[in-house]
Amino acid sequence: MTRNTEGALIVAASVLAAFGVTLVNFAQDRSLDAQTALTFLVFLIAFGGLHLAVRAFAPKATPLLLAPVTALTALGFFQIYRLDLAMETDRASFQRWWILIAATLASLTLLVFKGTTISILRRYRNITLLVSLALILLPNLPADWGFPLRGLSVNGSRLWVLLDVGFTSFQFQPAELAKLGLVAYVAGYLADHQRALREAKRHIGPIAFPEPRQLIPLLITWGVSVLILISQRDLGASLLLFVGFVLLLYAATGTTGYLVAGGFMGLVAGVASYLAFDHVQRRVIAWVAPFEHYEDEGFQIAQGLFALGTGSLSGAGPGLGRPDLIPNASTDFIFAAVGEELGFAGTVSVIALFAVTVAVGLGIAFRSRDTFRKLFAAGLSFVLAVQTILIIGGILRLVPLTGITLPFMSYGGSALVGNLILVALLLRISHEEAP
Amino acid sequence: MNGPVRRVSVGVFAGFFALLLAVTWIQVIRADSLRADPRNSRPALSERGKERGLIVAIDGTVLAQSVPNPEDERSFVRQYPEGEPFAHVVGYNSFLVGSSGLENAYADQLRSRRDLTISDLVSVILGRDLRPESLELTIHSALQRAAYQGLNGLKGGIVALDPRTGAVLVSVSSPSYDPNSLLGGDAAVVWESLLADPNGPLLDRATREIYPPGSTFKTVVTAAALDTATAVPETIFPDPEEFQLPGSTATISNAGGGVCNNGESITLLLAFIVSCNTTFADLSVQVGAEDVGISAEGMGFNTDIPFPWTVPEAVYPIDLLAADPAALAQSGIGERDVRAAPLHMALVAASVANDGMTPTPYLVNRIFDADGNTVETFQPGVLSQAMDPATAAILNDMMQQVVSDGTGQGAAISGYAVAGKTGTSMGRDGFPNPWFIGFAPAEDPTIAIAVFFEGGEELGEDVSGGGVAAPLAGDLMELWLEGSP
Repeated sequence: MTRNTEGALIVAASVLAAFGVTLVNFAQDRSLDAQTALTFLVFLIAFGGLHLAVRAFAPKATPLLLAPVTALTALGFFQIYRLDLAMETDRASFQRWWILIAATLASLTLLVFKGTTISILRRYRNITLLVSLALILLPNLPADWGFPLRGLSVNGSRLWVLLDVGFTSFQFQPAELAKLGLVAYVAGYLADHQRALREAKRHIGPIAFPEPRQLIPLLITWGVSVLILISQRDLGASLLLFVGFVLLLYAATGTTGYLVAGGFMGLVAGVASYLAFDHVQRRVIAWVAPFEHYEDEGFQIAQGLFALGTGSLSGAGPGLGRPDLIPNASTDFIFAAVGEELGFAGTVSVIALFAVTVAVGLGIAFRSRDTFRKLFAAGLSFVLAVQTILIIGGILRLVPLTGITLPFMSYGGSALVGNLILVALLLRISHEEAP
Repeated sequence: MNGPVRRVSVGVFAGFFALLLAVTWIQVIRADSLRADPRNSRPALSERGKERGLIVAIDGTVLAQSVPNPEDERSFVRQYPEGEPFAHVVGYNSFLVGSSGLENAYADQLRSRRDLTISDLVSVILGRDLRPESLELTIHSALQRAAYQGLNGLKGGIVALDPRTGAVLVSVSSPSYDPNSLLGGDAAVVWESLLADPNGPLLDRATREIYPPGSTFKTVVTAAALDTATAVPETIFPDPEEFQLPGSTATISNAGGGVCNNGESITLLLAFIVSCNTTFADLSVQVGAEDVGISAEGMGFNTDIPFPWTVPEAVYPIDLLAADPAALAQSGIGERDVRAAPLHMALVAASVANDGMTPTPYLVNRIFDADGNTVETFQPGVLSQAMDPATAAILNDMMQQVVSDGTGQGAAISGYAVAGKTGTSMGRDGFPNPWFIGFAPAEDPTIAIAVFFEGGEELGEDVSGGGVAAPLAGDLMELWLEGSP
């Protein structure tokens, strides 16, 4: 596939977004309005612009990554627009701004690395770590002090900061960016200590365990995850980081003991948080028996399952279902909303597009010769995959619902910024590793 | 290092595969039960505001229609212009409390198929009409209204049929409710108050509730006696004050006590005309449960009668009664274990009227499309041959004498020969349930009817089928005969 094909597919995905909006309008008996053209233009400018930035700053990057990402963003956007009409909210126009901002920041990421190499993240990994930890702790700023940067609680999780710039204010989840920094730090650390980690093994039976001293990075990541869980009550981000890092440790060393030890530590943290936090207990109850607790804990999951079941094979049609009956549909449950209106055909497409995106990311890792780039690409792909599987699996009742967003599709600016920068980083690695 | 990365990748794609399996389980295998879960309001909500077909009476009176919503021009609101008298037949279609009656039974025909689904698009390409279809009922609106008014707010049900075809002319239940009140946003509150109403306005006492039919059941016993040659109208029976139940110390006495004739003897004909209980308790035992059962089943007892909704089976428990002669004697006068809805008793009358052939009752005459073209017409059928035509002729004559000389004189219509049989069964809390079944004109019947009042405080203890139900049946049949083309 060539760069030109990628461009054509991006145009096609932009048409898809505009077509979705138009179908929703017709289904709701609204006439053709500016939304169609506006949507098409925003997608074309944002992703077309990113495409041009790749041509200019990372010309040898894989042409396989941007098209599925654009398609996923388009599917999510049309459903956000559809929920707007039912809920009388105005999230779609916010999301359009965020698509432009995120694509711009992703392009800038490509520009920043143009003159240098992604390996500077390895060299300055301690700074990356400090910045990431600072970002994670940012929401713990007081909510009521005079400084224009404040912490903010939403739905019981302290994940947000509010930047007050006088005439308006922005809300932002800094953890979405910190995620990338932490992956970069761990990849850098592992690349530097890889040999020592791999060789310092102690065998207990058939399983190779690392020397106790070499468990320190695992303990650090475990600590960071627990810190997020306790300080911000965010089960999802905490689980995501921990699983991502354990997988990366294993990928770097091939030491099965990390998986065993990580699994054990995760289990301990999981049981402890179940005992300690009622919001974790509620999640587990809703997972085990949503229909028995339909009136309270299980309501959201049950509504999600009703939406998916009613959608069945071909779906109600764009604008013709009732995804607004699911609480927080445009953030947590966008997958179920798509499943109601586009049916099994839509949900399988979404899962397939994510699988393609992750596969391309892992392919970049496989082909990388440099250890850091290999681990960084693998880590970014793992995080993307784990996040997708956790949230969709939560909606489908494979795992407890963890309240993280679906990459590219959910409503929310910070997540979109973080994930498009993630894509930009993968593109940059792919460019640097191109033969 | 690619080795471990590859192994993690395999795990990641196993995860994606698990997602595909789970979504297949939910959206394909479990889809129907999730969609049908009563807590899932999506199917009802998707129907809301859509155009539905008309329901009209055979005379053209509109019973249900969709009109454009004045507040929202792209949606429709349902209206039931005739309200209470038709509520149990037409039913309602509410996004809050579900649907009932024909609105429920013919939901597939009445709904709009314009859902913009792929199968709809295919239908458009194939040139199919997606507009809702409409129902034309067999109900005569003027007769239905008169029947509802005749019940006068008291608890009861009336069914009238054309005995030649089984077309249901009247099916009315009282007290009723306004189906329009279940369409608004306060439907759930209205529903709760209707459910809590001690008079049970939601109950369909015409076709969906069964009661002891009392002496109207003597028609069935007589048919069995004539068919089996156990007796003829001239057969002489003893005329005691009480009939000793076999194998029991209990007795059966006559209405108002005393003997039926002279205390010596009574013919079957006279016993039928004056509704003598002791004679029919005796006759029931003589004929036997199996032979009475054959006649009863021929007239629709113990039978799943095809109807737009599930009609409870009328009960004549043959095996039980064959083993219990005392119960068999009590069942001979329509008490004890015998149960029937007015619909079933109208079929008994229709069977006698139609030379012994019980017609299959039907409510929907035809289904027509949005252009008025007939899509489907109901073909009248026969449920069964319940008795010999000669038996039907004798019974017809006996029933005419009930109206001319006996307990059913209230049903007489000047200028017409009317046949009938009264009944007064034991109702709730000991209050009597008045019944009347009959048909007219007796020589060439065009209407068969069953009138039932459910006993209670309002009706009192001194009511009988002859006193209350027969006059109303007479009025309704007269209206039909005078007005029918």
